[in-house]
Amino acid sequence: MPATDRWKEDEGLLERLRKGAPGAVEELLRLYQGKIFSLAMSILKNESDAEEATQDVFMTVIRKVNTFKGNSAFYSWIYRICVNTCLMRLRGRRRGDTVAIEDFMPVFTEEGMHASPVDDWSKEVERKALNEELGKMIRKFTEELSEKYRVVFVLSDIEGLSNEETAKILGMSVPAVKSRLHRARLYLREQLSRYLQEGKAD
Amino acid sequence: MNCKELAYLLADYLDGSMDPRIRAELDEHIARCKACMIFAKTYRLTCRKAAELRGDIHYEIPDEVQERLTAFLVSAARKFPGQMDDYRRQAERECEEKVLAFCRAAVEGKLSSMAAIMMDGHIAVCPKCREYFVVLRSAHADLCLPPREILEHVVRLLESLPPGEEFFLV
Repeated sequence: MPATDRWKEDEGLLERLRKGAPGAVEELLRLYQGKIFSLAMSILKNESDAEEATQDVFMTVIRKVNTFKGNSAFYSWIYRICVNTCLMRLRGRRRGDTVAIEDFMPVFTEEGMHASPVDDWSKEVERKALNEELGKMIRKFTEELSEKYRVVFVLSDIEGLSNEETAKILGMSVPAVKSRLHRARLYLREQLSRYLQEGKAD
Repeated sequence: MNCKELAYLLADYLDGSMDPRIRAELDEHIARCKACMIFAKTYRLTCRKAAELRGDIHYEIPDEVQERLTAFLVSAARKFPGQMDDYRRQAERECEEKVLAFCRAAVEGKLSSMAAIMMDGHIAVCPKCREYFVVLRSAHADLCLPPREILEHVVRLLESLPPGEEFFLV
């Protein structure tokens, strides 16, 4: 389902939130609590942090709903608040547990040819039985990315937002989003490749 | 076109935003380079899988977290309009006190020169305020809050004073 359809209910909700109508906050939470918690988890990677961040996000939304200008979609406004809240929380925290994305970029010879053989694992991936495990692995590999790439990848490829929407939420240019997204995908492709190779060797 | 260039142009190649001439060059390269054909295929598959497995990749919000958040936020939201009312009431009280102090200073001749000039200017064009303050000065009555219309004029007068300027003589 495209993102734009998912959030159709927003307009009426916004109006009711502004008026402080009964049940409006419950409705807001029903629609967004899961999404925002998931997004916070994928940035913060820690349940109690994600819970606090989610609480902060909705407090900000409730407080500032009157200042929200309709020039961007409501959900993208909430997402932006969430990303900002989470990045503020990360700031100052020690960042040790991420991988160097450079180690997963494709390597080329001086002539610009692939330096090592490229393995075709498309058949393995298509096996249905592998899906659940693959979901876990993609989540794990995504968690290991530094937040610079992780946030873009989560918003674009996992949440399914367009590059333009992601750019707006993060306050970045579209080309910058595309370039980070591409590197994140190259990284994930390589991680999956290594993972599936290991599986074959077992 | 070589493999390295292809790898770095892949995102544009797949999302269709690429110039058709460069696309043709890439197509030509992929057609005769098995490594790139596989690379492009597995890259595309990576994107597709990430989208397909959206549900598995998502973090489910635990029930108890959901309950805690809902309880907290619903009650916080209920308090919020109350807080707004408190702020508004407090601002109103402060404004009324200021108007009262202004009237007292006007009666006792203790307005600052700037405030006095502005007051005279206003009274000259506003018969209602002129009448009110004339009565106030002569009656030596207990000061009370002026009626709404006068109060609004005084507020406007106070607001038009230069920032930081007090209306009374120090």
